[in-house]
Amino acid sequence: MLIYAINRILQIIPVIFILSVLVFGFVHALPGDVIDTLTATDGEEDPEVRAALEEEFGLNKPIYVQYFIWVGSALQGDFGKSLVTRRPVNIELIERIPATVYLALVGIGLSILIAVPLGTLAAVRRNTLTDYSAQISSLAGISIPEFWFAILCILLFALHLGWLPSSGYAPLFEEPGKSVLYLILPALAVGFRQAAFTTRLTRSSMLDEISKDYVDTARSLGLSERKVIYKYTLRNAMIPTITISGLQLAGLLGGTVVLETIFSWPGIGLAIYSAIQLRDFPVIQAGVLVLGIMVVIINLLVDLLYRVLNPRVGLG
Amino acid sequence: MSKLKISNSFGQQTRREFLATTSAGMAAAAGAAATASMPGAALAAKKKGGTLRFSTRADARGLDPQRNVIYYVSHPLAATSGGLLDIDENMDIVPAIGEEWTVSDDMKTYTFKIRKGVTFHNGADVDAPAIKWNYDRVRDPKTSHSFHRSFFKLVKEITAVDKHTLRIELESPSAVFLASVTYYPVNLIAPNSVGQVDTHPIGCGPFKFVSWKRYAKTEMVRFENFWQTDAAGNSLPYLDAIEGYPKKEDKVRLTALRTGEVDLIENMSYADAANFKKTQTANYNTWDIPQVGAGYLAVQSKKGPFAMDAADGKLMRQALSHAIDKEAIHQAIFNGLSESLNGFFSSSSTWHMPDIKNVKEYDPEKSKAILRKLNAMNTPVAVVARQAYAYMHQTGEIVYSMLEEAGFKVTNEVFDNPVLRKKYKKADYGVDSTANSYRFEPDQWYSVNVLSTGPSTKLRTGYKNEAADKLIVAARQTRDKQVRMEMYTDVESMVNDDCALIYTHGIPLTSAATKKLKDYKPAFAGPFNISNGGVRVAYMDG
Amino acid sequence: MSDQQLQSRQRVDTISPDDTPFAIRMRRIRVVSRNAFDELLKSRTATIGAIMMIMLLLTCILTPVLATHPPTKPNYRVRLQPASAEHYFGTDKFGRDIYSRVLWGGQRIVLISIAAVALGLALGIPLGVFAGFFGGRFDSISMRFVDGLIAFPGLLLYLLIITVAREWKLEGFWNDLILIFALGVNTMPEITRLTRGTSMVEAKKEYVEAAHVVGESSLYIALREILPNIVSPLIVNATVRLGYIILIIAALSFLGLGTPPPTPDWGSDLNVAREHMESHPMLAVYPGLAICYSVLAFNLFGDGLRDILDPRIADR
Repeated sequence: MLIYAINRILQIIPVIFILSVLVFGFVHALPGDVIDTLTATDGEEDPEVRAALEEEFGLNKPIYVQYFIWVGSALQGDFGKSLVTRRPVNIELIERIPATVYLALVGIGLSILIAVPLGTLAAVRRNTLTDYSAQISSLAGISIPEFWFAILCILLFALHLGWLPSSGYAPLFEEPGKSVLYLILPALAVGFRQAAFTTRLTRSSMLDEISKDYVDTARSLGLSERKVIYKYTLRNAMIPTITISGLQLAGLLGGTVVLETIFSWPGIGLAIYSAIQLRDFPVIQAGVLVLGIMVVIINLLVDLLYRVLNPRVGLG
Repeated sequence: MSKLKISNSFGQQTRREFLATTSAGMAAAAGAAATASMPGAALAAKKKGGTLRFSTRADARGLDPQRNVIYYVSHPLAATSGGLLDIDENMDIVPAIGEEWTVSDDMKTYTFKIRKGVTFHNGADVDAPAIKWNYDRVRDPKTSHSFHRSFFKLVKEITAVDKHTLRIELESPSAVFLASVTYYPVNLIAPNSVGQVDTHPIGCGPFKFVSWKRYAKTEMVRFENFWQTDAAGNSLPYLDAIEGYPKKEDKVRLTALRTGEVDLIENMSYADAANFKKTQTANYNTWDIPQVGAGYLAVQSKKGPFAMDAADGKLMRQALSHAIDKEAIHQAIFNGLSESLNGFFSSSSTWHMPDIKNVKEYDPEKSKAILRKLNAMNTPVAVVARQAYAYMHQTGEIVYSMLEEAGFKVTNEVFDNPVLRKKYKKADYGVDSTANSYRFEPDQWYSVNVLSTGPSTKLRTGYKNEAADKLIVAARQTRDKQVRMEMYTDVESMVNDDCALIYTHGIPLTSAATKKLKDYKPAFAGPFNISNGGVRVAYMDG
Repeated sequence: MSDQQLQSRQRVDTISPDDTPFAIRMRRIRVVSRNAFDELLKSRTATIGAIMMIMLLLTCILTPVLATHPPTKPNYRVRLQPASAEHYFGTDKFGRDIYSRVLWGGQRIVLISIAAVALGLALGIPLGVFAGFFGGRFDSISMRFVDGLIAFPGLLLYLLIITVAREWKLEGFWNDLILIFALGVNTMPEITRLTRGTSMVEAKKEYVEAAHVVGESSLYIALREILPNIVSPLIVNATVRLGYIILIIAALSFLGLGTPPPTPDWGSDLNVAREHMESHPMLAVYPGLAICYSVLAFNLFGDGLRDILDPRIADR
């Protein structure tokens, strides 16, 4: 296991390297002139300004040199400064990443809270009304576009019922009460869709477990049905659920751009999206790379966790 | 929140100290309630104040107001803006920190008398040397935005004659230079704060900067030493604080107003505006802002079938113009709220010109006839527009169909700004559905977008009309407004005949606020920080 | 889907080498058919899904016949009309016939998603087979590349690819090709991993070595064994993926990154409809429901297929 873990950890180094090349390549392939975008409106172009800015942001160096300079300082935790706001990129990231992580974590938490009981119930009461309604609602959750659901939620809960704010954000540690209020609708929109996946998975892995030999053995030993299900099967059936929730969490980093737009949620996805439109390349590069590293690490943890929880899996 | 140094009113002092300990979110309500129960309540209760939560469409790109354009309509930070001169609700230039000015007879020397006792937010004096420092910084390409710098193109020398006298000498005569020293476009910052300008700017506007989270929240508090006072001598502004919440989506902003998360919004979506005004008069005030800017079609006339030097270029452009049904745009895009334009200025502007000629009426048959005559049916036209503004690309969408109907072979594309600029440079488009924000000095429109040497003209249309050029240059050196109006009327008539720019609509918008916001009124083209108006005189009631 | 990989590896241990998994699976399907109760439920899902999907595809094929108006022709005199005999679903803000727009939009979105999945398969299968079969350096390089793509967070890969490609002067279908490319590239990793897992297993089999001895091309032999083996998981995966891709296309158009207007497009039509959400809610209902329907159709069909083809479930 230890060897496997070390192996896996070593594997993420080339992955991050490839990611850094990919994002750097994409960013520098973005059409349009960075300096022109930055400086021009009605004004005329000024070669002197261009030269000064190219010097300041290192754009006058050969592209591969730019890459190594970027990687070099990124390794020291310095992503340079934003072309647009001229603040250190780290400030932009630190302002934005927590909002996205907050939304993603609570969304996934909500999804597990909904999905595990629902999926278990559906499996235990297979082919009953409960099962059918769980299945139908999870199918709906998978099929309804997230942004459509979000808009409908705003119409209902914010506008017609007036229970919740329609948009905005407050940091959790500064204004906890307000923060939670603002979070409810976006988290619901995230949670609903993810819960749909997780419910289906939980149901099918529960069914899987229930049909296994040990369940019959346990039953024949006289253990109560409740105990069998909740003590043994559920625990085993949780393994894929935890795995998939971890992968979902990784997917939500940078995957909530549309919801961030609808809810004016100042997340990193939205920041990168607007940086793309403004060609603020230091922010795009750093944002994608940091999110990507987070994704890689989450995937790694999920993989290791899966193996720890499920010792039957051979170590490859 | 910093405490007041001196206050002209005792009641205000108590109140502000109280507020300093109250969280910003509940300041308005709690503040009013608490003062009522305090000693001297009768005096204090009359005091105007409160916290205004304001939602805008856009946010500044960065904090340095000389390197970034702080747009005076949609950027919350514009509440912190201060300049040598101000604009009022009619968008006319009025005295501010520059109390008085004289213009030499040759219109090459402008001398400003600087108001005494005006300070920046950090207490530093706003005096002639400080203003000179600012203007020199704006003229330096390394430290300023080209948009700002373009306003000082004619400047030869800036001199601080003494602490309260500033002299600006120009290379060539200009009757329009005053528009270059208003707070928009040229904002002042404290010279001794230049090191923190990207993180915590120090200006001299009515509100002080507190914090900025881009696209989320801008916090500003009342500048206690702002120079302006109301008629009774009370210092302005009244509001204790402004919180700006940029929300890009029109729908989101309106919902936030209706659910009580903000008190004031700008740029209500066109679809909602009519209905909202009808049904919500009991709870909300609305302000129609008739012209934030003008929408127009820029025809690429540098090369190809519509080029200035193509044999039938003008006729071909006229064929385009006859195909445009302004009424359809008016209905479909602006829900009947806009105004058809034949020139840049709508009827709400003091620069509106009623006598513009050569307007090409909507008549697709005429377009077809021209195309047939020139054997130019199915001439390809690429309609392009900017992604960031829905009304631009939706107008493009409708123009696409109109041109198709008239017999052109049309494509429609929506680009983000960098790509669009690249297309301009390569003259790789046909018709750009676009708009410009309102210019209170007409020269800023004509010299930039119509004059053949104007930067925008060169970039986009390549329009060239020598007679118009002469008029524009002459108008720039003419003091009499009436005479200038006539000159510009002639220019617009030429523009309409040449059809390199096809004016379509005044871009309207609607602002709305809860009834708790008192005495608020934006300028007719949208700015909310205006002399003796807007957020300077508004206050929250309860 | 390392999960799936693990499963296939596990499964192989329990079967004798001369019994290919495909044969076993076929046998199991036959067993399943005899299990009347299960079969009923399973085929019900599959049947409903199949019917919905066939209806969807038929509608797409017959769009030119079914549509009543040209989808891009505006007429502001009849804008925002309610449903009528002339306009079955009413008209939008430009006075265009919504019914015709929904139909044409559907044809486009379904075509794009099918093409994208096909591209994903075309890229993913060969890469997976080669990586799995040959192993070694080729395997580790290509898998790290695939991992790098997976680490690209959320929607950001699409945003970057589309923004890069926006500049090219592309019209109509060619513009859709960008979308197809972006979505196809993002479909690839999953397919590659799925294929690779199976190929790795096959490569170690005795018959491959035997083929070596006889002098036959081992790859040829392997392909004959590998491909049938991965067909069913791939079909299931691809079908579900179709629904997922429809959602992504809708989300991208919602952000303004789809095909430029006035091309009918469910996502951007939804976005425009949002302006009129309160006064004309039906504007958002039609494209929204159309998205739900298509995603649901593919999901149900995929579910049904999985039930029938997946031996793990068939065991029960």
